[in-house]
Amino acid sequence: MPFFPGELVVGCEDLTHFEEKTARGQHILLTGRILEEGKIAVRDAIVEIWQPDANGVLRDPLDPHFHEIDPRFFGWGRSRSNAEGWYQFRTVLPGPLRADGGVPRCPQANVMVLAIGLVRRLSTTVFFHDVPESVDDPTLNCIADVGGCLRCAIRNLILTVFLRTAST
Amino acid sequence: MSLTASRALPEIEYEPYDDRTQLVQLIKGYPRSFTSNPSQPLIHRPVMLSERTGPSGLARKLTIGEDDLSRTVNGDQRAIGQRIWVAGRVMDQDGSPIPGAVIEIWQANAAGKYVHEMDHFEAPIDPNFTGIGRIVTDAKGCYKFQSIKPGAYPVMASDWWWRPPHIHFSILGPSWMSRFVTQIFFPGEPLNETDLLLNAVPDPEVRQRLIFEMTPTTVGRVNGLGFQRDFVLRGKRRTLALD
Repeated sequence: MPFFPGELVVGCEDLTHFEEKTARGQHILLTGRILEEGKIAVRDAIVEIWQPDANGVLRDPLDPHFHEIDPRFFGWGRSRSNAEGWYQFRTVLPGPLRADGGVPRCPQANVMVLAIGLVRRLSTTVFFHDVPESVDDPTLNCIADVGGCLRCAIRNLILTVFLRTAST
Repeated sequence: MSLTASRALPEIEYEPYDDRTQLVQLIKGYPRSFTSNPSQPLIHRPVMLSERTGPSGLARKLTIGEDDLSRTVNGDQRAIGQRIWVAGRVMDQDGSPIPGAVIEIWQANAAGKYVHEMDHFEAPIDPNFTGIGRIVTDAKGCYKFQSIKPGAYPVMASDWWWRPPHIHFSILGPSWMSRFVTQIFFPGEPLNETDLLLNAVPDPEVRQRLIFEMTPTTVGRVNGLGFQRDFVLRGKRRTLALD
């Protein structure tokens, strides 16, 4: 991903607005750093996310609840890490996914990282605090089985995700 | 299979990547590949609907239409360099066209210089060239854009080497699983033989798929050389007929 143009990131960091309308749900700031081993900041990494809306609906007709989608929430975004490795998104707290049948899945967002020297892109999922007991998740379970923590199971590129509620 | 399907359910399949088609992760002479790539095996997770889906209507979110890289938007002057036309088709593993795929393009100018603050190569910026475009595939999965042929440039690693002319492609297809980023090279370039990245793909036949085919000049346009490259995105999106 050398020299990925900043112009292709413009307007993609804010998922709380789509076509000048405000998305439903709790607005949050999803931010973190892309680091190499030794906590060396990775600049110009491209981070992309894909998540359901506040009611857990994905913006894709394959989601059986697609007809309920918040028309003001797009669900996809892109950020570029700065010189200190920070990326950030304004988005909404996703609702529990109901699309796979059975028990609703934990609220989550898919995250993809592309960076110089990172030969193959990395894909992971972030989860959120205060997950209701009524939900379960195969993705969360498979991570817990391996490492028992939500960090990417990789050493050199550490994806840290901090979640903070925006003041709005 | 019945033609009178009373119910139709979409089915998408994703096969694992064949390692011979992917770059080796640790590339000798390219230190960044040693510090940036995972040293431990990744966790294989289940492919759920959250992976099988992707945002519909990307063209409503992203600005589309920069399909002429050979001059700046509203610019009268053409960029310096060999003018080229690039075209191709985006399809899934069944060969079905993927309409509405967003293709992002970026490239160096004719002197091998990117418009990017991290590019420290001592080559001139062309005021009529940004090297950035974003287009969308049509109903038949086809794309096309015009540009100028990029120049070669050196990578300032400890053992520096020269990158052959290439164009970067980032494709946003129908799903999270079909996300695709690559670089496409030009045929007959001597530097193709020594590029550390192109040659990090183990299978020589696959390396050929990363090189444009030149359109015969007898059928191409008179105002620029034609190059073609089709892309196959991971996955199949077919409709199964069920009784």
